[in-house]
Amino acid sequence: MSENIPEDLKYTDTHEWVKMKNEKTVVVGITDHAQKELTDIVFVELPPVGKEFKKGEEMCIVESIKSVSEIYAPVSGKIVAVNKELEDSPEKINSSPYSEGWLVEIELSNKDEINSLLDAESYKKLLSK
Amino acid sequence: MPLRSYLHEIHVELGAKFTIFAGHEMPLQYTSIRDEHLNVRRNVGLFDVSHMGNVIIEGKDAARLLSLATLEDANRIEKNKGQYTAILREDGTIIDDTIFLHLPDEKYALVPNAGRSEVVTNWLNDVAEKNNLDAKAEDVSREYVILAIQGPKSRDLLRKIIDIDIENMPLFGCDYAKVNGVDCIVSRTGYTGELGFELQITPPENAKKTFYDILDTGKEFNIKPIGLGARDTLRLEKCFLLAGNEFEGGRTPLEAGLSWLIKWDHDFIGKNALLRQKQDGKYERLTCLECIDKGIPRHSYMVEKNGKIVGKVSSGNISPCLNKGIALAYIKPEYREVGSILDIVIRDKKIRAKVVKPPFVSKDWARENP
Repeated sequence: MSENIPEDLKYTDTHEWVKMKNEKTVVVGITDHAQKELTDIVFVELPPVGKEFKKGEEMCIVESIKSVSEIYAPVSGKIVAVNKELEDSPEKINSSPYSEGWLVEIELSNKDEINSLLDAESYKKLLSK
Repeated sequence: MPLRSYLHEIHVELGAKFTIFAGHEMPLQYTSIRDEHLNVRRNVGLFDVSHMGNVIIEGKDAARLLSLATLEDANRIEKNKGQYTAILREDGTIIDDTIFLHLPDEKYALVPNAGRSEVVTNWLNDVAEKNNLDAKAEDVSREYVILAIQGPKSRDLLRKIIDIDIENMPLFGCDYAKVNGVDCIVSRTGYTGELGFELQITPPENAKKTFYDILDTGKEFNIKPIGLGARDTLRLEKCFLLAGNEFEGGRTPLEAGLSWLIKWDHDFIGKNALLRQKQDGKYERLTCLECIDKGIPRHSYMVEKNGKIVGKVSSGNISPCLNKGIALAYIKPEYREVGSILDIVIRDKKIRAKVVKPPFVSKDWARENP
């Protein structure tokens, strides 16, 4: 199964993607690989705007027909926006994991954490293991 | 190591994702649970349900054994007919729910749930021995593959490749037949609430050809292979029970909503316990809950009324047909009136759900939602 792994994004080993929106804010979602594994995403529980997370903490819940999955904060920071569209159309994560299916925007509390994320090449290697 | 179906390699070839269910590695889905689900409601689907058991009962007292060991008066079930029923312990709790088929040659074929054949077989043989009955149960689960063809177009499909007349086969009817030359037991049974048939095929190797024959013949009917994921959501929409969920911890047929199966005018194991429970009346009953708020109820979530626990979800999911959360839950008798609003606790939130009559999805759904 071929996986779509855009070159310009950063990744985690728990299958989140991270995109720099500007100097201090990132957009976060789950990867094409993750949505294919889950399939049939039917419910998303998003965090309240303003809530702060440390890197690695459970931040959202994504439910497929078969399972409940925790989504972890890929970086530390404060939630500044959530994708409200997903409450009515969670299937957008399946159809468009890297754009319409974004989950949250996080204002970084430590910019250096970006450097600890995987680049596309490393994420591709992780998937091929 | 989990057991694998004789058709495992075919499922791999068809791109299935697998799951372990009751010790069996079976297809979870081939493409998408939702697509597979809707295809069974609107067209037709093919399931490998080899995880289900096969037990053959023979002997002149076979009907007496079944009558004593199940809720059914088996003498009532003529040849070429079958019955859905349950086997109880003395205390009235369910060992397994099962279909038995009365075959034209006097034998009975039972289909216990996955992983339950040995328990059921031993129980039946013990009952036969203690009551001096001339009847013997044999577990032949690994000698059979079971295929299910389910959906409104299942009869049009099967008609093309089977050598007997299935036009007038009633619900729970059964017979021996050949499907493109392969011997099988055919029955008009299933777990989806749709028109459907099941084929029990032995020797199991023969089922490979039959699986492909059905997929080939089914092309014109838009057939899809269907995994256990959709099998679970299909049965849940019709309020059919899943043994591992709905019988967890020991439940009686009165609690599980199976009182319609109890033939009170014959003697059976567990009858006295059921009579006592019926008289007492204060038992939790399986109840259908349809979610009002967004959220997906799941197995073991608690159900509350005004902050007080009144029950627990035994099975829950989203209904692909209704696009709402639905659940079967054991609820205290005073809180389960149709129309009542209860709260299902999902993680740290509560969502409202309404008590509804079964089934969640009516038989007219596909016609009204083409």
